[in-house]
Amino acid sequence: MNIKAKFSVILLLIVFCSTACNKYLSLKPEDGIIRQEFWKTKEQLSSAVSGCYASLLADPLVKNLFLWGELRADMLSPGTSISTEETNVMNVNINSANDITDWSAVYKTINNCNTVLDFGPEVLKSDNTLTPEVLKSYLGEARALRALMYFYLARSFGDVPLKLTSTTSDADNLQIPKSTQAQVFDQILADLKQAETEVVKTYGNKDLDKGRMTYYTVEAILADLYLWTDKYDECIKACDNIINSDQFTLIPGDSNWFTTLFYQGNSDESIFEIQFNTAKPNPFYDMFTGSKHFKAAVQVAPLVYYSDENDITNIDIRGDGAALKFSDGSIYKYQGVNATTARSSSSSASIAHYFVYRYADILMMKAEALNQLGQGQDALDIIATIRARGNALPASALVVDPADKDGITNYLMAESAREFAYEGKRWYNLLRNARRNNYARLDLLLDVVSLTAAPDYQQAAIVKYRDKRSHYFPIFLTELQADKALVQNPFYQ
Amino acid sequence: MKEIFTRLFFFYILLATVICSNVVKAQDAPAAVTVRGTITDKKDKQTLIGVTVVEIDKDQRTVSGVATDINGNYALKMKNPKDRISISFIGYKTIIANVNNRTTINAEMEQSSSALSDVNIVANKQSSNGLLSIDVRSSTTAVATLNAKDIEELSAATIDQAIQGRLPGVDIAANSGDPGAGMQIRIRGTSTINGATDPLIVLDGMPYDTEIPSDFNFGTADEDGYASLLNIAPADIQDITVLKDAAATAVWGSKAANGVLVINTKRGHLGSPQVTYTLRATGSKQPEAIPMLTGDQYSQLIPEEYMNKTGTPLNTQTVKEFQYDPSDAYYYNNYSKNTNWIDAITQTGIIQDHNLSISGGGEKARYFASVSYLGQTGTTKGTSLDRTTSRINLDYNVSDRIKFRTDISYAHSATDKAYNDDARKIAYEKMPNMSIYEYDTHGVNTGNYLSPQSNIQGGYSKTFNPVAMLAAGINHVIQDRIVPHFNLQYDILPGLVKATFDVQFDINNTKNKNFLPQIATGEPVSDANVNSAYDGDSDSFGIETKTNFIYTPQLGEKHTLVTLLSFMSNDSRGTTLQEKASNSASSSLQDPSIPARAQQIGSGNSEVRTVAALLNAQYGYLDRYILNVGLRADGNSRFGPSHRYGLFPSISGRWRISGESFLRDKKFINDLSLRASYGQSGNAPKSNYLFYNTYDNYPWDYQGSQGVYSQDIQLSNLRYETVTGQDAGLTFALWDNRINVDLDLYRNRTTDLFFNGLRIPSISGFSSIDMNVGTMDNQGWEINLNTTLLKSKNATIDFNFNFANNTNIIRKISEFYPSTKGDITTNGQYKTLLQINNPFGSFYGFRYKGVYKDATATVATGANGQPIVGLDGQPLQMRFNYPATDYVFKPGDAAYEDINHDGNIDYKDVVYLGNGNPKFTGGFGPTLTYKGNLKLTTFFSFRTGYQLVNGTRMTTSNMYGYNNQSTEVLQRWRNPGDVTNVPRALYNDGYNWLGSDRYVENGSFIRLRSVTARYTFAKPFTSKLGLRNASVYVTAENLFTFTGYTGQDPEVSVKGSDPFRVAQDNSLTPPTRNLVLGLVVGF
Repeated sequence: MNIKAKFSVILLLIVFCSTACNKYLSLKPEDGIIRQEFWKTKEQLSSAVSGCYASLLADPLVKNLFLWGELRADMLSPGTSISTEETNVMNVNINSANDITDWSAVYKTINNCNTVLDFGPEVLKSDNTLTPEVLKSYLGEARALRALMYFYLARSFGDVPLKLTSTTSDADNLQIPKSTQAQVFDQILADLKQAETEVVKTYGNKDLDKGRMTYYTVEAILADLYLWTDKYDECIKACDNIINSDQFTLIPGDSNWFTTLFYQGNSDESIFEIQFNTAKPNPFYDMFTGSKHFKAAVQVAPLVYYSDENDITNIDIRGDGAALKFSDGSIYKYQGVNATTARSSSSSASIAHYFVYRYADILMMKAEALNQLGQGQDALDIIATIRARGNALPASALVVDPADKDGITNYLMAESAREFAYEGKRWYNLLRNARRNNYARLDLLLDVVSLTAAPDYQQAAIVKYRDKRSHYFPIFLTELQADKALVQNPFYQ
Repeated sequence: MKEIFTRLFFFYILLATVICSNVVKAQDAPAAVTVRGTITDKKDKQTLIGVTVVEIDKDQRTVSGVATDINGNYALKMKNPKDRISISFIGYKTIIANVNNRTTINAEMEQSSSALSDVNIVANKQSSNGLLSIDVRSSTTAVATLNAKDIEELSAATIDQAIQGRLPGVDIAANSGDPGAGMQIRIRGTSTINGATDPLIVLDGMPYDTEIPSDFNFGTADEDGYASLLNIAPADIQDITVLKDAAATAVWGSKAANGVLVINTKRGHLGSPQVTYTLRATGSKQPEAIPMLTGDQYSQLIPEEYMNKTGTPLNTQTVKEFQYDPSDAYYYNNYSKNTNWIDAITQTGIIQDHNLSISGGGEKARYFASVSYLGQTGTTKGTSLDRTTSRINLDYNVSDRIKFRTDISYAHSATDKAYNDDARKIAYEKMPNMSIYEYDTHGVNTGNYLSPQSNIQGGYSKTFNPVAMLAAGINHVIQDRIVPHFNLQYDILPGLVKATFDVQFDINNTKNKNFLPQIATGEPVSDANVNSAYDGDSDSFGIETKTNFIYTPQLGEKHTLVTLLSFMSNDSRGTTLQEKASNSASSSLQDPSIPARAQQIGSGNSEVRTVAALLNAQYGYLDRYILNVGLRADGNSRFGPSHRYGLFPSISGRWRISGESFLRDKKFINDLSLRASYGQSGNAPKSNYLFYNTYDNYPWDYQGSQGVYSQDIQLSNLRYETVTGQDAGLTFALWDNRINVDLDLYRNRTTDLFFNGLRIPSISGFSSIDMNVGTMDNQGWEINLNTTLLKSKNATIDFNFNFANNTNIIRKISEFYPSTKGDITTNGQYKTLLQINNPFGSFYGFRYKGVYKDATATVATGANGQPIVGLDGQPLQMRFNYPATDYVFKPGDAAYEDINHDGNIDYKDVVYLGNGNPKFTGGFGPTLTYKGNLKLTTFFSFRTGYQLVNGTRMTTSNMYGYNNQSTEVLQRWRNPGDVTNVPRALYNDGYNWLGSDRYVENGSFIRLRSVTARYTFAKPFTSKLGLRNASVYVTAENLFTFTGYTGQDPEVSVKGSDPFRVAQDNSLTPPTRNLVLGLVVGF
């Protein structure tokens, strides 16, 4: 071989080897899809949207939503296996090391939604069978779900960081400061307003209509948001959009009421419920069975539902055998088939859905808005409707003058305690009403403490609640360490 | 830029190869001739039949051969008349003759007078980095070697146990004393705070992986559980070398950041077959544990603890465990016992280890084969290990220029582990008034385990019946590993260029089967833990290749040069398949495939590839100036394209001062050398595919649709973690090598420190990512001293001593890395800080001042000693963590020193309590040899200058839950006025066991780790028995520990490499005491 030929052989070898080396070292996972290969078909888009919903079932999201909505309210008392963290929240002895204040589960769902919103539109380019309308509907679902998640965060923590893009690489900027509660509410409103025009009214399947975001779910969240932002006219309008659709009704309070509404689920009363299944049961079995973590507060049976001394068979159907069992104080809503039969005693049978909104919520929200607008009688009428359906006992009735806003508020609070017991809404209802008009009704919260906090902690708790900044959770400690742009909520500094 | 350079480096090497390959040229073949002759016996002149006559070329390669016929004649057609012939016959001396153009060659063969004896080649001690063997005299790096003799007497089931405490700077600690548990090996501390921390093991020149896929056992597999023991029988080992400084490890590049352990197994040698049998029988016993309360004492404590919390007595009508009412026969019989749960699960452990080996060989072929069996029962009931290993090492020398080696090893091990590792811990905590077996309502022992679904202590998995768990729970791990290794050595240019080609396959299959029967948990039959069966297979397959070119030019008397060019590649693939089911109809249906409730099914698939090229040269001038330089390039598939390649250079040198003219006449100095080295090696992350953003399915559906989500963050910034080591050493040997000293000073600086799971803001949707976060130093010094104190005709006394100090210091760290750990306001926690430029391991807490004896003692006093009064003029009580917690101390509570006298115990009262890093660690021991037959070896290990948190004492005396406590709590405060150091019992309340100096103790100790007496039988005696050699020995291990520490075992291995680690001793029992009987017989 002459020099030239030798040289070219060597050169060829070098080129071959260097590319071969790189190729040899380029390995892709065999049992997972990488992002570059995802987002190609409408089926993939659809499964990513399902992924947003599926993340709602992941632990500890719903458990958190329940604890955030009930722990600081007046309906629970400690069970045998209650954790120190749970006790501390009940006693208003909350610090930033308390992992109940860990918001990460909520942001996981938000990131799933952000991922769909960021990459979903790409699918249009590669899949011709995907129509812009279908894409729009998927994006609307993600937007609405994201809004719902932020709504929970803003109500629990006050000011929270707004993360509106997906996280894909370690090069992304994650040092995001808090936005104020008002800014977060604005973002939620913007998202919902857009989603309102995108999502469908029905998926043509009743189960899907109750398990996924529809136009009506968006209206329900909007109604709630308007109550928090004191926009009562808009609230009533959103409620009426649902009421006038004739798609929803209160399930009659007969012997099938519990089974239809809570055991079977997805009834005509339902608007949006998080749908657990046997592959992923709800977290309530471990919390309530054998009163492990919680049982009903002592006053719930006698002072929320009351009993009829003349006729013991005349009961508020929402009490004994529905929300709880009077006999042992155990929380029953997620455990029962009907008033007398419980679900099979195994965690995998504990698949009751978790209500986010149902028709009764809409009516009660409308009543609250009407009351604030001075239409007291209309509000009282709605209360009467709810009470009639639940066979509320005369002992629990309040006589209120239609002009007495505070009185009607008290009545609304008492009635919603009966109607929505253990549905994770109590604290939010109390806080919303307490904070209105510059905390004119702080007494609503102070009354709670005397019922739930342990005697040792009551005085301290009352003092803390007088500081309105204590009504929101602290930012979890590790979060502060990881996100340098975050500042601890003032009460916990 | 770096990548381009790396590529160029690869090209250069390739170039060199191509040019090199041109050197070998074909030779011309001369004409053939035939040689004839007759072979006779020299003594009786008889012809010999069947004598082998072969033609061999100048490289001793056999070209052709024949055998003599019935008349002793042969005719050999020579391929090349210049070759020689070799005449050999069993029992006769081999004759090699030059042909010199003769056509007839007759020969007389001489009988060899005796059988071939062992050939001992006397040469300088060699030290090997697994790639090149270098004279120890010329070694430029810090290495330490241990020979087979040093370790053969220990009761170690694995070699990692054997080298524990024997080498300076090598820290080995057991993960647990259970059979089959792995060891944690650390060479000069850990170079990483969270990543791969185990050293690379190089077995017979090839890397030996010991990983198990991380997703095995549904991701819950702890590394210890499957620590693939180095399944090599200790008796098969020739020597172990530890490469410590970075210049030595740099040749192994990106796997060697944590040091390298080079292990060589025995090989056959020239001579008749030698059979060796070794036996080791060990008995081990758990020493006395901490004394715990009896059932009766416990039954007094708990109601008191409850009463102190609530102010109301424990209602024994509902909590019948403390009812003690004979009329309720069921509860009375099941809950009135004095059970010693620890005794109930403890047994004497026995290990038997047999090893049978045969080795020998001739000119052409040599062999070493061994088979060994290890049977071990653990000191905890229900744990055992059975292991069979076999190995065959074959060497075949085709000629002087071509040699083959084939090593095949196979290991089969079956470990019977505890289903739940907490069984021993739970045995300590378990209520002692409870019965092991269940009594029925008539008071008759049913023979069934008493496993209630729950009682006051709770239920599974917080507590369970440990006897039932160990007896009925099943957890088998079965491992099969085959490692064939083929090696070809070819002298391309004899004496100048040599090439070796290695390929090694590694087939490692692990099966884990476990089953949790209902009786072990007591859970209701519908519960997911009941009759839960798991079966998992993890199969891994690896191919490792290595191609070496070694160039040794002759540069004259004064110069020596060895140059190595090496290419390595590795491809490891692992697959896992696993299934879990529960609620089978009966506890005897134990396989997950039986139709029952399927829980989980999983499979995994993963592959990693690496390539590397290395150029290394060792140059010596006048035996005085020695220099070694190396450059290694690594490529690893675990990194993204932008950070895939790494370059790791090294340079080291040695100056032999004793060779200089001014010291040459000082005859008592055998060697005096200075060494210095600098080198880099890298660390790759543990997981594959990190630089992809992957999508995964949720394991559940939502309304029938599968949900897909983005499961991780693409780590495009991940880089090699690089360890840059600097080492300065001094070696000297005096008076005929009677004193040998190695002194080393080192610093290993880790840059781009790798951290697994750095917390990131969870607003990202993720909680943590892996990241390069900072710079850390590991620095220290080591002294290794070997002396012969006395050497006379009858007796020799040797004394070995090693001494080391290592500290870990963070130099730079990402601002997102947490800077403190430990919530001081929570019981049982100490505070640790990460301080830049300060060593790890300091911890902070309160000062314990005893117990408030009565109400007046709890009044807060100011600096002047006067009570602090409130706004209302009333004296204030001492408080804890006002205003956040605001607990008011009550009589009987633990008192802490109020450093700032503000009447409030909070973070301002926290003081420095200690540091868990030992100032010195090491070992020493004399060896006495008497008349060459009797040898007495003792070995001590020690650690000094550190503080330990006695975690065991904390958990066994806090009286905070329903767990059983130690007898220390019998001195607890009960009534106002009691003066004691043990606070009152208080269920789930109060702050009686905050992190304070109450639990901090000095951990220094000296332990007599082993004493061995060995007797080697004298030759005349063994000859009579027909044995080649024989010896017996007795070893006692862990006989005494000299320490002021009151806990169970001061030798705490601080698990992990977390900079916030607090040296906490949670051991409940001291290390087992072992007695070993051993026998070595050679035929």
